[in-house]
Amino acid sequence: MRPQLRSGLVGLLTAICLVVSACGSDDPGATDQPTAPDSSATLSTDESSPTDQPSATATKPKDTSGTTIDITFKGDRVDPNGVERRVKAGKPLTLHIVADKPGELHIHSSPEQEREYPAGTSDQKLTIDQPGVVEVESHDLDTLIVQLEVR
Amino acid sequence: MSLAALQTGTLPGLVPMHGLGGAKDLPIPLELAVTGATAALVVSFCVLTLAWRRPRYHDIRSGRPASAALTGVVDSPVFQWAVRVLGLLFFGHVTWALIWGPDLINNPALGTFYVLVWVGLVPASLLLGPVVRAASPVRTLNLLLARITGGDPAVGLTAYPARLGYWPAAVGLFAFVWQELVNPQSAYLGSVRIWLAGYLAIMLIGGAIFGAVWFERADPFEVYSNLVAKLSVWARDNDHRLVVSSPLANLSTIAPLPGLVAVVAVLFGSTAFDNYKDTITWQAFVRDLGLDATVTNSVALLVFCLVVAVTFTVAAMSTGVERTGPHAVPRTALPGLLAHSVVPIIVGYVVAHYLSYLIEQGQVTILQLSDPMIRGDNLLGTANWSVNYWLSFHPTLIAVIKVLAVVTGHILGVIAAHDRAIRLLPPRHHVVGQLGMLLVMVAYTATGLYLLMGGF
Repeated sequence: MRPQLRSGLVGLLTAICLVVSACGSDDPGATDQPTAPDSSATLSTDESSPTDQPSATATKPKDTSGTTIDITFKGDRVDPNGVERRVKAGKPLTLHIVADKPGELHIHSSPEQEREYPAGTSDQKLTIDQPGVVEVESHDLDTLIVQLEVR
Repeated sequence: MSLAALQTGTLPGLVPMHGLGGAKDLPIPLELAVTGATAALVVSFCVLTLAWRRPRYHDIRSGRPASAALTGVVDSPVFQWAVRVLGLLFFGHVTWALIWGPDLINNPALGTFYVLVWVGLVPASLLLGPVVRAASPVRTLNLLLARITGGDPAVGLTAYPARLGYWPAAVGLFAFVWQELVNPQSAYLGSVRIWLAGYLAIMLIGGAIFGAVWFERADPFEVYSNLVAKLSVWARDNDHRLVVSSPLANLSTIAPLPGLVAVVAVLFGSTAFDNYKDTITWQAFVRDLGLDATVTNSVALLVFCLVVAVTFTVAAMSTGVERTGPHAVPRTALPGLLAHSVVPIIVGYVVAHYLSYLIEQGQVTILQLSDPMIRGDNLLGTANWSVNYWLSFHPTLIAVIKVLAVVTGHILGVIAAHDRAIRLLPPRHHVVGQLGMLLVMVAYTATGLYLLMGGF
């Protein structure tokens, strides 16, 4: 019977496809954190951008004015933990960090950025040019620190 | 700059809390939301009291025949096979990235799955008609398997049980939105591999058992696309000829099968949840509740869908039909008979919620597709393109488009519901009998605008 034959074939294909997907899941990257070729990568500023580029990038060390947000990490807590802040598009923003151990921030701008900070006091400077809502999260605590409303 | 970094993979995947895409749209301004809601309310009551009293879109597949040349191309086996082969090649390309590509956030399989396919199928179906049906790789595989075994792809081992209707698709759609919005692993390839393996298996097994009708009832992507395509100008008349039709007439041909209400409830409820889950209020609630975030979010997603299903069912059943006599309509049939009117509301809300995401994350994905192994390839010639973020730099324009989309969807929904209601209702109930539906639609629109405002 033809339909039976097709069902048999489908069964075989299904088995193959499940095996392939299962093999795929064995790859350590599948369940753990994704591994990047260069885990210490931070966004580099590279000037080859056309005018309509996003560039939520650059640190502008000379300009110390603008908004500052204080962030304190202590144990497995962070303060603030999920607040909204309004910031101006294109204006420098400083994240003033006091931390008891080094860690990593995820800044969900377009494109996204990662910032590593050391133990102790440090400043992360960024300028977000593109209006929108940008979440700043703690990678280590898996929690939202601040939601930036960039206007 | 950073785009190069994204492509060459120097930027690893980001936190699991977050799906794809970076910055989100700003909340829409209060004045715009209020203007939109007021317009929706006024137009609704105008439709109710002033619009036509005889049904205009009476299930007829009317329309002007499309030009002979166009029909010739669309119906030719060469064209149909070309589309199928393209669909299969694209599927193969993405599967390659999915299984053998590195597990990074910039693997194009993720952007293709969540953005190009899931969000992109809405505008594609709106403009071109049932595109998923034409290009679906699972349909093509079913066809090829039938050819190999010498069978008929339309025929399976047994007939599809009519009472199942769209229920399998409702379950599949829920599985998709759960994977996208709740699964903490959503941005990792492993979870997408498992999801797609399950999808492929269920589709092919169902196709073998029930024949091709399975894809029309159970494939979440095809069912979603077919519903949206009913808002396009492309239709088929009773002789299966291609016709150009009014979108509202086309919409009225959606078959009220069992499970249709569940399908629209999942599509609408999940889009609302997607908007809501990013609010500070909800994130604080999940944190303070202290339960596992996956459990809390799963329950919330289900509740959002159920709220839509229940409110719609109650409103539809409150419509004042006759219980006896020649024009009697059973109340339990009403939600299904009116469910087509939620489709424009879904489309309006999807446009509002995902427009900038589709345009910007879609471009990012098209760039990534040239380099599926993330090793610097430029297979499709798109790797060196740059992403245009013009839209994001015009937040007021985005806000206006959002409100227009939501209000337009609302108006089309109200008209579709009105037209169906006057066909079902006895004349003396024409106005009062529709109030329930109208109120629930105004409530949906007001809630949608409130969510777009960043409310709650």
